[in-house]
Amino acid sequence: MSKELTDAIVGMREDEALALVKQELAAGADPVAVLEDAKAAMTELGRLFECEQAFIPELIMGGEIMRGISEELKPHLKGTGEAGTRGAVVIGTVQGDIHDIGKDIVVMMLDINGYDVHDLGVDVSGEQFTAAIREHDAKIVGLSGLLTLAFDSMKTIIEDIVAAGLRDQVKIMVGGAPADVQVQEYTGADGWGNDVGQALKLAAEWTGGAA
Amino acid sequence: MTLTGEELYKQRLRRFDDVVALKKPDRVPVVPLACGYFADLWKGYSYKDAGYNHPQHYAAIKDATIEFGWDLSPMNSLFAADGYEALGTTQLRWPGGALPDDMGFQFVEDEYMKADEYDEFLSDPNGFTVRKIFPRIAANLAGFEQVPLPPLYFLANTYYLLNVGGPLLGAPPIRQALEALLKMSDAVGAYFAADAATGAELAELGYPRAVAAPIIPPFDMVSDMLRSLRGSTLDMYRHPDKLLGAIDLMEKAQIGLALMLIQVTGNPRVFIPMHRGAGGFMSDAQFEKFYWPSFKNLVLAIIEAGGVPCPLFEGDYTPRLKYLAELPPGKIAGHFDKIDRLKFKEVLGDKMAFWGNVPLSLMCTGSPQQVKDDVRELVNLFSDTGALMLDSVTGIPDEAKPECVTALREAADEYGVY
Repeated sequence: MSKELTDAIVGMREDEALALVKQELAAGADPVAVLEDAKAAMTELGRLFECEQAFIPELIMGGEIMRGISEELKPHLKGTGEAGTRGAVVIGTVQGDIHDIGKDIVVMMLDINGYDVHDLGVDVSGEQFTAAIREHDAKIVGLSGLLTLAFDSMKTIIEDIVAAGLRDQVKIMVGGAPADVQVQEYTGADGWGNDVGQALKLAAEWTGGAA
Repeated sequence: MTLTGEELYKQRLRRFDDVVALKKPDRVPVVPLACGYFADLWKGYSYKDAGYNHPQHYAAIKDATIEFGWDLSPMNSLFAADGYEALGTTQLRWPGGALPDDMGFQFVEDEYMKADEYDEFLSDPNGFTVRKIFPRIAANLAGFEQVPLPPLYFLANTYYLLNVGGPLLGAPPIRQALEALLKMSDAVGAYFAADAATGAELAELGYPRAVAAPIIPPFDMVSDMLRSLRGSTLDMYRHPDKLLGAIDLMEKAQIGLALMLIQVTGNPRVFIPMHRGAGGFMSDAQFEKFYWPSFKNLVLAIIEAGGVPCPLFEGDYTPRLKYLAELPPGKIAGHFDKIDRLKFKEVLGDKMAFWGNVPLSLMCTGSPQQVKDDVRELVNLFSDTGALMLDSVTGIPDEAKPECVTALREAADEYGVY
């Protein structure tokens, strides 16, 4: 494990991190191991975010460095698509709302934390959610929204999931700036969150692991 | 004794001014900062009509102000949809445009300026805006990109103005863009006429307007409007000096605009919606470098001009309270979204008026009693100074239950008479 690489990413030193990856690959390092080091850095950033020592910019910049490293590694990884190991998550911004900044950060961090994430995008209907739950055999559903109209939309989508007979198979989180326990109860969700830390914690709880 | 409209106007404004000056008013004022679709939906109008039928929309806000017992009338937070249409706006989606009639408008955040365009923007902000930004935010302004435009200073003589400027203005794509701008201006003219007429009626009935149109903080002007959250975030690491250069440019513009607004509207209460400075959105070090200095300069300039800054601290500003404590006491109406109330009272209780903070979720999905309980908690917390004004977190939310809006005023009468 390269502590140097992990440190460079956590320290937001983009050029150094990318140079290290190139250097390690040239020296014959296992690309899978390099990717693991990079992921470890993102997990560390998630931990720092939790204890308010890192913030949204670190997650976004970390994701950007990660993207650069993945590009670099792609030709060396033999096309073995990595399957999620902690269960499938279906997530999207609910019908009527097109805000996606928070949702995208949650998607990125769930992905890095080993979930098989299916991002349905924005303005997603109940029908699209239920179809995706079936298709991916999802265990977790994330309903995101910023606007107050999203409250009713979340409620309707959860009603659709119930009507489709899928409610028992999934745990549902509602998220976004205005989410709170009131919104959770109103919509019939199992949990709520205002930020990525809360989303990761809920997902871990529901899959029986550590955040 | 029945008070005249003029007396009521003074009484209500006095409540606001007292609270800002940290003096106890006769009653806790109920002042919705802004109103978007709420009044229209309450009246049974569609989201689409709210954006297109300006006299009807403003009349709805007037009626809501009276019906729900607000002390000051909220700022209208919808813009002219026929103006968007004239421009072929792509930076927003609205009912009647790309959205169905029963959905509210939404802003489309994007990197309207790319990272490698900073130099061009900083060296020629006006030219860049016309040639690059206008076509990216409005389809009908594409002409400004299609025809190669010389810098304006090139036309600073009669010879080139006639012989270069004349043919340029005649080029069909340019003519089409100019016509779109004029059409937009007509739409906005009708919209502001409705605004002025309603404002005058409300003033006569004794209701001052809460705040004048928004002055967006310099950092947010760059982040929200030009570079997007992702773009401005990456700039903090990759191009910090260029980002600061753009913020500096915006600071000068926004201070100028704020002072002009105070003069033109005669309303000293300047609304400042804040987005990216909230807790979690950047570290203290980044806040100190990129957000706070230009915001503070804006606030101080407004105070110096005799204005009352009304920042809407969207998000959770609890981690930033220590910075807000640097601002002059008794001069600012701080409107809060999510905040640790107790912590605010402890740090800023004797420095800044506290406004808002009744959760959106309660207003939209709660019961009137829950709203009243929340107001009682607020009134109790601020009962020693009375430096409190009631509102939800961004004005009255579009989908608020009317009975919960009624509860705000009822709670003020029940618990908030000092």
